[in-house]
Amino acid sequence: MTAWDPSHPLLEIEHLSISFFTRLREIPAVMDFSCSVMAGEAMGLVGESGCGKSTVALAVMRDLGRTGRITGGAVRFKGRDLATMPDEELRRIRGREIAMIYQEPMASLNPAMKIGAQLAEVPMIHEGLAKAEAWARAREIVADVRLPDPDRILGAYPHQLSGGQQQRIVIAMALMSKPALLILDEPTTALDVTVEASIVDLVKALGEKHGTSMLFISHNLGLVLEVCDRICVMYSGEAVETGAIGDVFDRMRHPYTQALFRSIPLPGADKTTRPLVAIPGNFPLPHERPRGCNFGPRCDHFAAGNCDAADVPMFAVAGDDRHETRCLRSTEIDWAAPAKAARQAQRARVGEVVLRMEDLRKYYEVSASRLFGGGETRVVKANETISFEAREGETLAIVGESGCGKSTFAKVLMGLETATSGRILLYNQDIQDTPIEKRTTDTVSSVQMVFQNPFDTLNPSMTVGRQIIRALEIFGEGGTEEERRAKMLRLLDLVKLPREFAERMPRQLSGGQKQRVGIARAFAGGAKIVVADEPVSALDVSVQAAVTDLLMEIQRQNGTTLLFISHDLSIVRYLSDRVMVMYLGHVVELGTTDQVFSPPYHPYTEALLSAVPIPDTHVQKKRILLEGDIPSAMNPPPGCPFQTRCRWKAQVPGGQCEREVPPLVTLAPGHQIKCHLRRELLEGMEPVFTIAAE
Amino acid sequence: MMEPLGWGGILARAAVQFLPVWIALAAVFAVSIRFRRRLGLYGKLFDSGIGMAGFAIVMFWVFTALFAGWIITHDPLAQLSGMRNVAPGTPLASAEGLYPVYLFGGDSLARDVFSRMVVGAQRVLAIAPAATLFAFMMGITLGVPAGYFSGRLDTGLTFLANLVLAFPVILLFYLLVTPEIRATGIPTALAAILFLFPILFLTILWNSRFFTNPRKRSIYIGVTLAVGLWAYSGLAFNADPLGVFAMDPNLLNVFVAVVFVNAPTVFRIVRGLTLDIKTRDYVAAAQTRGEGPWYIMLWEILPNARGPLIVDFCLRIGYTTILLGTLGFFGLGVSPESPDWGSTINDGRRLLTIAPHPAVVPALALMSLVLGLNLLADGLREESLKD
Repeated sequence: MTAWDPSHPLLEIEHLSISFFTRLREIPAVMDFSCSVMAGEAMGLVGESGCGKSTVALAVMRDLGRTGRITGGAVRFKGRDLATMPDEELRRIRGREIAMIYQEPMASLNPAMKIGAQLAEVPMIHEGLAKAEAWARAREIVADVRLPDPDRILGAYPHQLSGGQQQRIVIAMALMSKPALLILDEPTTALDVTVEASIVDLVKALGEKHGTSMLFISHNLGLVLEVCDRICVMYSGEAVETGAIGDVFDRMRHPYTQALFRSIPLPGADKTTRPLVAIPGNFPLPHERPRGCNFGPRCDHFAAGNCDAADVPMFAVAGDDRHETRCLRSTEIDWAAPAKAARQAQRARVGEVVLRMEDLRKYYEVSASRLFGGGETRVVKANETISFEAREGETLAIVGESGCGKSTFAKVLMGLETATSGRILLYNQDIQDTPIEKRTTDTVSSVQMVFQNPFDTLNPSMTVGRQIIRALEIFGEGGTEEERRAKMLRLLDLVKLPREFAERMPRQLSGGQKQRVGIARAFAGGAKIVVADEPVSALDVSVQAAVTDLLMEIQRQNGTTLLFISHDLSIVRYLSDRVMVMYLGHVVELGTTDQVFSPPYHPYTEALLSAVPIPDTHVQKKRILLEGDIPSAMNPPPGCPFQTRCRWKAQVPGGQCEREVPPLVTLAPGHQIKCHLRRELLEGMEPVFTIAAE
Repeated sequence: MMEPLGWGGILARAAVQFLPVWIALAAVFAVSIRFRRRLGLYGKLFDSGIGMAGFAIVMFWVFTALFAGWIITHDPLAQLSGMRNVAPGTPLASAEGLYPVYLFGGDSLARDVFSRMVVGAQRVLAIAPAATLFAFMMGITLGVPAGYFSGRLDTGLTFLANLVLAFPVILLFYLLVTPEIRATGIPTALAAILFLFPILFLTILWNSRFFTNPRKRSIYIGVTLAVGLWAYSGLAFNADPLGVFAMDPNLLNVFVAVVFVNAPTVFRIVRGLTLDIKTRDYVAAAQTRGEGPWYIMLWEILPNARGPLIVDFCLRIGYTTILLGTLGFFGLGVSPESPDWGSTINDGRRLLTIAPHPAVVPALALMSLVLGLNLLADGLREESLKD
């Protein structure tokens, strides 16, 4: 075995092609993929779902399963080809020199083993370390991943830890044998933003500390900007652009990269004056890829006879370091040209107040044992004193991390639960105590909901048209079957789906298309208020833009009030008129979008804003990391709900934060903050983002 | 008088007797494979070797039961002199107008084993799927609400189901078919309850779906109630005014026992599936548009639980077949003359050392049917997971 020279790439992938073989056909998943990672470098692999980025990672581990095969090219790790390496040797490299971190932390940990034993296993297997030594190393690494009280953690089972803590343990496990290369496959997608920010920070710091190279797979451009040195953008099985992160972000040379950046809401985008530009068309299926450039059919710069003539190789971009693009016309296109002016729309008229909540509370009683009674009953305070009003034609965003009570709030509004106290006024009518079965059809059809998970929102065993017609039947729309059918087709037109889709089954639709059907169904009864529960968070970025656009357009036409529940502050900033920030059941800040996104902030809003990764090299962000996890709603801290993680707590004299729930203070007309901080302190806060001059 | 047949001759003649079955099988397979891409899960079955094998075996017995009249060589109850315990392939002593040979030999009462096996298939396949279907109706009608509403209802029903499951099955059968218990009227009462479930199920099904369109609802429910209650009067109480539906009281007992034993297991499966599916967004969507609980249970949840239920249905027909065999073996609930496989095995048991064939033939038949059902279930499970 020849020694490896660190001046050569640690991982070198050359013209790699991977196919999966099914009974029907060969499905090429990755074609002609090349990239190299130097020692200590972090490489970001970006692309939409189905583009082959995870397949590349699995090929590096040579873990393609029974049906996958490397059909061409080489994967060299420290100069040795992994594709042809015997299994025995490969086993020594896996886990020891190359470690992998997956998306679902709970699925990567053995639920029946204590954390300490799982961690110690790694050096015991790979290096033959004695048990005591291995445990000592485990303890050290747990402290390294910044988990408090390592001894307690080592003795715990995975289910006793929170999601963030579990992911830290998975990272610790990957680091146990000090690997040279770390592969991270969407390591933070399942986590909340503030937790994500601290994990990303940790990964970066550990990479620098140990000199570990990283292959960071993500669909989130902002995250990649924060973590990586170099980036590789993938589209439909091919790398379309690769280069240093600054080069690709500021001087992109592939139309897909550009289209991707134009479809995500950057600061400055605005739903009326500078709307997002969705990428037209759909992602090609692996066996239906076009001839020539894969992106050709969706590209604005497509030149027939040129782009679709033959396979496109990678071209170096002159002037940049290792910056390549798979575009024939990269030197001809005017990259600085602004996006084709998308239709500018009129801002929706904001009308009368349609929905008002006053001091709404929702408590759940949870008893220890239901069958035999007894046991202490505990109260979960899911919503505490929520007051706000929403007007016709307005978009009110409700922002918060998991467990903040936003879903409970939606349930109470929809009537799936009744309020514990307080009032909900819909067109000046009390509905807080009316469960859905007692509500009139009119009330029910005027408050509807769009759900989060597109794969779950439609009944898989009923045709799309049937499901919409059923909603029409229930809402008493249309007198006869024919009228309802016509109305259903008009609804499909409204959400810009072809009419043939009426006969399709949900499984034949893509995620974005299903979400459109969900929207059509919600508007079946002419909904006045639509609660959209993270309607785009499960969709790919290019589809997100199109679905958001659709929601906005329908809102403008119908004057619908949109309650937009989300944790993604970029999209909230883009489309909402007012924002309500929730934490542990409390509304901590409420104001117009501009008021919430600029100082003074509630300390939680400040941290939340800072946690959002922004894919723009011109934006400077203040880093504020929150310590610890969100407390359980079963056992909330006394006083201010945020006091356990607040960095401003010391500024409030006399431990007031720990004793009293702060009052809602009105700082400016329409801007309320629930905080004990003095007004001068609040007003002296610095903005989280600053946009550097171009 | 002809020579006794060798094994080759026996199998060749048996194969000829099964000719209608072969033709039907070939037709079904040709059509199914031709159109398999358009036939959903059933079509996908023909992508899997295991599934196809299972389906072939099951359909073999189904067609055997259907065409039994053409396949049999002798009257299954006729006793021919000189044919007691004769070996397979023995020719008849005087074959005037009769099939000249006992293909699989004769039993202790000089009846043709081959014909009894064929007619036995008819008995087994008439009861097992029907009993399983009723067990499913009952399990679903109780299991879906238990899972959907949870709480007290669930606790109570699950307790009852466990109670039935905790009771030894064979003992339960003995109890249900003993004359003393029958005299108390318990089996009839149970039958009255069990047969009510399908009617209840269908009525709720139509009502929840079509209450927005009263005319359609009235037609569907009217037809269901008319046909259902008519059949009900005949099957449960043997009081059909027109005399179309009737059930032998012995058979009714067996039927009730089998349904009663299977329903709790189905109940538990359905309940578990419901607990999972009710957390889906499309259920929440139905709730937020104000659908009633029965619509959600029967039209949103149940269709999406069908995959595991179809697989279980196939397996359960297999269990039921074994159960019927066991009942027959103990001589419970069926007339002593009955050619069903369980009682035939029992009859043949006594002379097993002298003449094994009267017991072995139905045993092999029973085994192959259950094997086929299991393979079919495996194939369905495998293919339903793929997409």
